[in-house]
Amino acid sequence: MEVKVRPFDCWNDFKNYRMNYYKEYLEAKDKGGIRWAGSAWSFDPVPQGLGEDVYPLTGEPYGATAAFFKDFSMRALETIERKGAARDLCGYMRNYWGSVAMDRYLLADGSEIEPFPKPDFNFTIHICCSHAKWYHYAAELEGGVPTYAVDISVGPGYTLDDKKIEYVVRQLEDAITWMEKVTGREYDDELLIKAVENEAKSMTLWAKICKLNQAKPAPMEEKSMFSFYVLTLIRRSDERVVKLYEQLYREVENRVKKGIGALTYEQFRFVTDNPPPWPFLKVYRYLEQNYGAVSVGSIYTFGLGAAWLGMDEKGENWIWEPAPTPEEAGFEIHDRRSALWWTALFNLKYRASWQHEYSHWVRKQETYQMVKDWHTDAIIMHLNRGCELWNMSTLEVRDYLVNKGIPVATYEGNMADPREFDEARTFNVIDSFMQSLGIEKLT
Amino acid sequence: MVTVDELPEMKKFIEWFENRHEYAKKWKEKTGGKVVGYYCTYMPEEIMYAAGILPVRILGSHEPESITRPYLHDMYCPFCHDTLAQALQGRYDYLEGVTIAQSCLHMRQSYFSFADRVENIEWSYYLPFPHGVNNPHAGDFARHEFEKFKKAVEEWTGKEITDSDLDNAIEVYNRNRELLTKMFELRKADEPLITGLHAMYIVVSSQLVDKAEHNQVLESFLEKIENGQVENDREIGTRLMLIGSEDYDEELFKLIEYGMSYPATFVFEENCTGSRYFWGLVENNGDRLMALAKRYVYRVPCPAKDWARGDFFGRRRFQFIEDVIRDWNIEAVIIAQMKFCDPHELDIPSLREMLDKMGVRHLHLELDLTQPVGQFRTRVEAMIEAMGEEDLFI
Amino acid sequence: MAVAGIDVGTKLTKVVIMDEDKNILAYVIERTGTDHKKSSEEAFEKAVEKAGLKREDIKKTIATGFGKISAPFADDEVTQVIAAGRGAYYVKPTARTVIEVGAEESRAIQLDDNGNVKDFSLADKCAAGAGSFVDAMIRYLEVTPDEFGQLALQATRAIPMNAQCVVFAESEVVSLLHSNVPKAEISRAIHDAIADRVAAIARRIEIKDDVLLIGGLANDIGFIDAMKRELGKDVHVPENYPPELVPAIGAALSAL
Repeated sequence: MEVKVRPFDCWNDFKNYRMNYYKEYLEAKDKGGIRWAGSAWSFDPVPQGLGEDVYPLTGEPYGATAAFFKDFSMRALETIERKGAARDLCGYMRNYWGSVAMDRYLLADGSEIEPFPKPDFNFTIHICCSHAKWYHYAAELEGGVPTYAVDISVGPGYTLDDKKIEYVVRQLEDAITWMEKVTGREYDDELLIKAVENEAKSMTLWAKICKLNQAKPAPMEEKSMFSFYVLTLIRRSDERVVKLYEQLYREVENRVKKGIGALTYEQFRFVTDNPPPWPFLKVYRYLEQNYGAVSVGSIYTFGLGAAWLGMDEKGENWIWEPAPTPEEAGFEIHDRRSALWWTALFNLKYRASWQHEYSHWVRKQETYQMVKDWHTDAIIMHLNRGCELWNMSTLEVRDYLVNKGIPVATYEGNMADPREFDEARTFNVIDSFMQSLGIEKLT
Repeated sequence: MVTVDELPEMKKFIEWFENRHEYAKKWKEKTGGKVVGYYCTYMPEEIMYAAGILPVRILGSHEPESITRPYLHDMYCPFCHDTLAQALQGRYDYLEGVTIAQSCLHMRQSYFSFADRVENIEWSYYLPFPHGVNNPHAGDFARHEFEKFKKAVEEWTGKEITDSDLDNAIEVYNRNRELLTKMFELRKADEPLITGLHAMYIVVSSQLVDKAEHNQVLESFLEKIENGQVENDREIGTRLMLIGSEDYDEELFKLIEYGMSYPATFVFEENCTGSRYFWGLVENNGDRLMALAKRYVYRVPCPAKDWARGDFFGRRRFQFIEDVIRDWNIEAVIIAQMKFCDPHELDIPSLREMLDKMGVRHLHLELDLTQPVGQFRTRVEAMIEAMGEEDLFI
Repeated sequence: MAVAGIDVGTKLTKVVIMDEDKNILAYVIERTGTDHKKSSEEAFEKAVEKAGLKREDIKKTIATGFGKISAPFADDEVTQVIAAGRGAYYVKPTARTVIEVGAEESRAIQLDDNGNVKDFSLADKCAAGAGSFVDAMIRYLEVTPDEFGQLALQATRAIPMNAQCVVFAESEVVSLLHSNVPKAEISRAIHDAIADRVAAIARRIEIKDDVLLIGGLANDIGFIDAMKRELGKDVHVPENYPPELVPAIGAALSAL
């Protein structure tokens, strides 16, 4: 059945925010501002207490942008490999290091700037084997930029207790003292409080938007979602980001009401799991154009940018319901400690991507429930050689879903290394999968 | 006079190394106790030992296999595949439990599949050991997790772990650490009697048997070495240090120490089947769990946990390596990294730079399940040969 | 009425001519060479002639392997997985697991009782090129393909060899040759390593009886033996047709 489609009204607003983001970071020093770099998983509200002119550069989205511009990516990857970096390391990280090592900075439109704008400090977290070491080595390449990493490996949210939160909060308190020392600025707790509240708003709003995609026809396809979700990863504690998500929420809600879909012909719905191969997003286009197949979401876009209830208290079932904001949870944020306590609790408990590192079971339930709740026909899994964290449990999940009768296709690739993706082979997998399910090509 | 290889103690270590499963099965028969397999040397074995459990380190067998491929991705390291393969083949059929102290992602994967898929496993425990071992709050956090772990062990075994049980376990384990350290110290000698192969058998066997028993044999072994009852039967040649991932592949040691045209001897192994396992004692000062937490948090870190934090901009492991190179008079370093081991790969460029600055030759070998012996021989020989050439011109 | 199936592979081009009652009238297997279009055209002509037909007698042609790019005269194409599945069910209706090892690509397919593809898995990047690897090893050992397979059966011991990475495996073979290890044992080690690698792909799907081995490597007696050992079960090969022909048969069936 043919459905109505139309471009998103807020598309350009999101695009412009992202374009400006990289420029703002670049130009921060011109106005005496502060630049910091770190993983997109970092406690982004914390450096905001240093002032209103503090600009982050988060590594994973930067790495993805680099990968998208294949020529830049190839030069970056080869540069860092010559310095001895192994090819099986994180794809984002190698693009980032390569960019630093080449001393070239990439803007979101693909233009290159020389030199690479060094941050005043690196501030990151550590959950996989690479995060903190990523910035440690980057700092060495940058000639010794001060670096601080917060260990968040306390276990899944449903096992959270005060001591675990306390461990993270104490590190954040130390980080603030350290940031004051490194930047020579006095820390403003009011700004922190505001940022922490914004973070919660951005992430719960994005969860609510994701949920709207359960509708048939799906109002969003995943390629658009990549452009939307990324703001939760580049600067979720910014009030402008909250406003954009409010705007998007209204628009998607309206699309659902009016039956506006992402594809003219939605004959097949699926979800994916991992970060996509950024240089080859045409995989999604291929599925849409040939099979009317729409990706309605992924563990990646939902799990990384949004806040969800997640595993129930017993650790048995996964609940894809938006997490509460501090207001909804009745949590009063009134000073530095309560603000840090909230952001630690909120991320440790509700950030889906901080849950499934601790057992196959969590990832199995998370994926199974997504397939069900978003009313999909199948899952297409990306065996992503570029990220061993996201690739955790994928084969066990495959086995679990196949046994549950859910059709699963897997293709191998790399989110950020164009050399590790075989286009013909991937299309072959897709065709074989679709043909085996009896899905005809659109004529 | 006898050689190290002729000592009955050495034969015992090798026997334990080779017949690890038989040892554990016999131990069970003898004691009626439970055996728990553990992944990663951050596991506070003392807590299990105090409960009367025999903790054994999960290791592989260096045999090709295909049975883990449905569960673990190919880009995960050979060690995690190999260890899981042992379990899927039923070689760990005597274990009641399996546990892991949070470490790298690869081992975690292997552990989860192990715990889920091996039928004889009735108890499993994921211990969220901190990653931030370079930060001052990690000790408190580790203590908290150790307390929960202790409770879980008590609930499972039905045995209360008393302070005196813990004291005893700490004493036995500390004794083993002292003896192993002493064994390494002896290798500072100009003509060390203990090779890398010997040391590997000794350290790895200590991860597989009752530590009290290991202590007895090791004490007797060291006594004989120190009393001059043992003679050297081989040329020492180039003094090598091994740096890297877990390495208990006999072939590699045999090749480098016994199979090359140029003599060479490992005098130090900086890995978790070597010094990283036992270096550093537990300072038991009343709060036993805190003492354990501090020992494990502040030991020489695995690269997975070693990173800059705030005012500390270094790697504690590198500082340790620097000291060893000086004190053990190391001439060249073999960096033996398990294929796909990200934490090591993340350190290697900076490690090479440090070694270059120190003027120490180094060679990077990538370990797989089995090793291309001929290729490795050529590369190691070439390195040693080049060192000789340099001497000509100095 | 007759139809055709054509499978253009990296090494060989296979063509099957079939009548409407699914009888195979003729088939040819030719070297692919560098000019795919030319070799597919020639192979096709040859097959039609062999069937005693004229080109216009062929009502529909379905391509697989490299597909229409290499055989532009085909009416449509079908993926290798589907073609191999259909072909396998045709040559052995009791087959539920199909393992195909070609020059560059290996795959495992699970069939349901009606011969439909239920699940499949392809070789990962590291494990690709099993067939080409064997070709290279045959050259190293200076034997014929037949001798290579026979040699493995004569080995008196199994030498463990790296199974998951061709590059590593190759350097191990060189080491063994330099150490004067008998060729029979090296051949056995290579076969075991390949079987191990192929079994790893197969294990990602449920391995149900009967297991049918197809593709070029299924001609190698040493490999069949190694697969039996590795999977711990009986392994079949097509009885009436060459094992590498199966996907072309499947393509022809798809044209009906």
